Amino acid sequence: MLGFEDDPRLIDLLPIERQQRLLQLLQALVALPLSLHEHYRDDAEPVEFNLETLAWLHCPQQPQVQQAAARVLEFVLFYVGKYRLAANLHHDTTEASFAELQRQHAALQASEARYRVLSAQLQTQVDEQVKVIEQAQQQLYETARLRSIGQLAAGVAHEINNPIGFIASNLRVAGDYLDELSASLPADPACDLLLKDFKDLLGESLSGTQRIAGIVTDLKTFSNIDQADFVPCDLNALIGTTCHLLQAESSQALHIELKLSEMPHLAGYPAKISQVFYNVLDNAVKALGGPGTIRITSRPGQDSVLEVIIEDNGCGIPAEDLSRVFEPFFTTRPVGSGSGLGLSVARDIMTAHQGEILVHSRVGTGTRVTLRFLCH
Amino acid sequence: MADYLAHERKLTLKVVYYGPALSGKTTNLMQLHTLLRPQRKGELMVLETRDDRTLFFDVLPIGLRSENGLDLRLKLYTVPGQVQHDSTRKAVLSRADGVIFVADSQAAQQDNNANAFDNLADNLQKLGMDIEQLPLVVQFNKRDVPGAVDEEGLQARWRDTPWAPLCMASAISGQGVVESFRLLLERLYPALNREYQLADGEGIDAATFVRQLSMAEGGS
Repeated sequence: MLGFEDDPRLIDLLPIERQQRLLQLLQALVALPLSLHEHYRDDAEPVEFNLETLAWLHCPQQPQVQQAAARVLEFVLFYVGKYRLAANLHHDTTEASFAELQRQHAALQASEARYRVLSAQLQTQVDEQVKVIEQAQQQLYETARLRSIGQLAAGVAHEINNPIGFIASNLRVAGDYLDELSASLPADPACDLLLKDFKDLLGESLSGTQRIAGIVTDLKTFSNIDQADFVPCDLNALIGTTCHLLQAESSQALHIELKLSEMPHLAGYPAKISQVFYNVLDNAVKALGGPGTIRITSRPGQDSVLEVIIEDNGCGIPAEDLSRVFEPFFTTRPVGSGSGLGLSVARDIMTAHQGEILVHSRVGTGTRVTLRFLCH
Repeated sequence: MADYLAHERKLTLKVVYYGPALSGKTTNLMQLHTLLRPQRKGELMVLETRDDRTLFFDVLPIGLRSENGLDLRLKLYTVPGQVQHDSTRKAVLSRADGVIFVADSQAAQQDNNANAFDNLADNLQKLGMDIEQLPLVVQFNKRDVPGAVDEEGLQARWRDTPWAPLCMASAISGQGVVESFRLLLERLYPALNREYQLADGEGIDAATFVRQLSMAEGGS
């Protein structure tokens, strides 16, 4: 295909049969032989189109006829050429427009693909953010719940402290009165028996109030609501109060072995650290599900690390679950009995104390949780 | 881009009359056809019009033959000025060796001039040409129309461009048409001479080039 500005050849403007037809018509008019030649001839008239010589027209012995016939041919070619030029230009521009459209189409498709990817990425990001927000909300809720329980416990502890105080004091005074009373009473075996039983009752009641006072003290330590900053914590003492609480909550007697070593105090939130112990121990109790032993070891490790190891010989955790135990909301317990947050919260608290929590477990043998605190 | 066929010794150049609609591009070409008597002159081909407005293009071939037998041809094209014919305009502009930008001197047409000039720069860039490098003459046509923008202001405004001085024309009466064309030939010659050694190889110096291609009817 010729471009519109390329000089056309004769054959581009008039096909052979049209050339012959035109020549025949001209011959019929002049009644003389005419012939078209591709190459220069001395005795022929050039036929031009836009300064380009397309052919040579020859009419023997008749230069005037030859010239006139060449002009007629040029006249026809001029109009054929106009049409060809316009058609070629139209073709060129249509092709160019189509190519441009195709290019735009490809660009649009590429951009659409880009936006598709972008949209997928955004969706993933949104999903991730939603997950983070849900997690934060759940933790907030959990913290708030624990805080309100702590406040309630502290309030109750405070309210119980006074009456327990005077009950204990009164019981002691009552004991003294009883001693005086027994001294002034005549000796009588029935009466002696009664007085001895009375004394025992008062003694048991007194030790009961002491137990109550102990629980109240533990509750106050555990709730620890008014301490906002890091304070020196005695880990062993925190382990002790947590065990008491757990024991008090539990419906059956727990067998807890304590192997606590002397350790320096650790800067931290006592309530939070207690919560870690509580969460881990609570898991241990649930893993035992009945008789069994929980062993708590505390010892100073290397590089100013304090270690607390909590072991149980309960059911253990299957390998496929072990990798997910720190995931928020991951729980294997029946709906309603576990939030799936215990170890997750414990790990967050350990991280806040620049510590770490490690879980080792074997199904049927038991679980060992190692808490490592960095002590400055 | 000039097109040289070595075996035919034929060098074809392309000059395009560009500009806003109805600024007188076809009139320029018609006047050149009437006024010029170059060594060789073809027919003015007005392809197709609607309401007297160019739809495709017009073309006027002129040419000269050097003593050494170089067949030099110049094809003068006009483009359709109407905005909607941009793809045609671009096709005609492609591979141009020089451009004569025909602007309209009427005050109300100055925005159209600017738009058309931007369109020229834009299309040249799309075709891989640089408007700063291309031989270009800016002609302000229709000087005869009452209320034409004054010449001093125009010349001052264009003074710092590569296209100063401007040509003033009244194509309808033939004024300034040949002068614009000659100015373009002068601006076109150096690049051609560099590439095809017209002066040394063909014996065509700048003056001969301009004279042979733009000899006016009746002498000069």
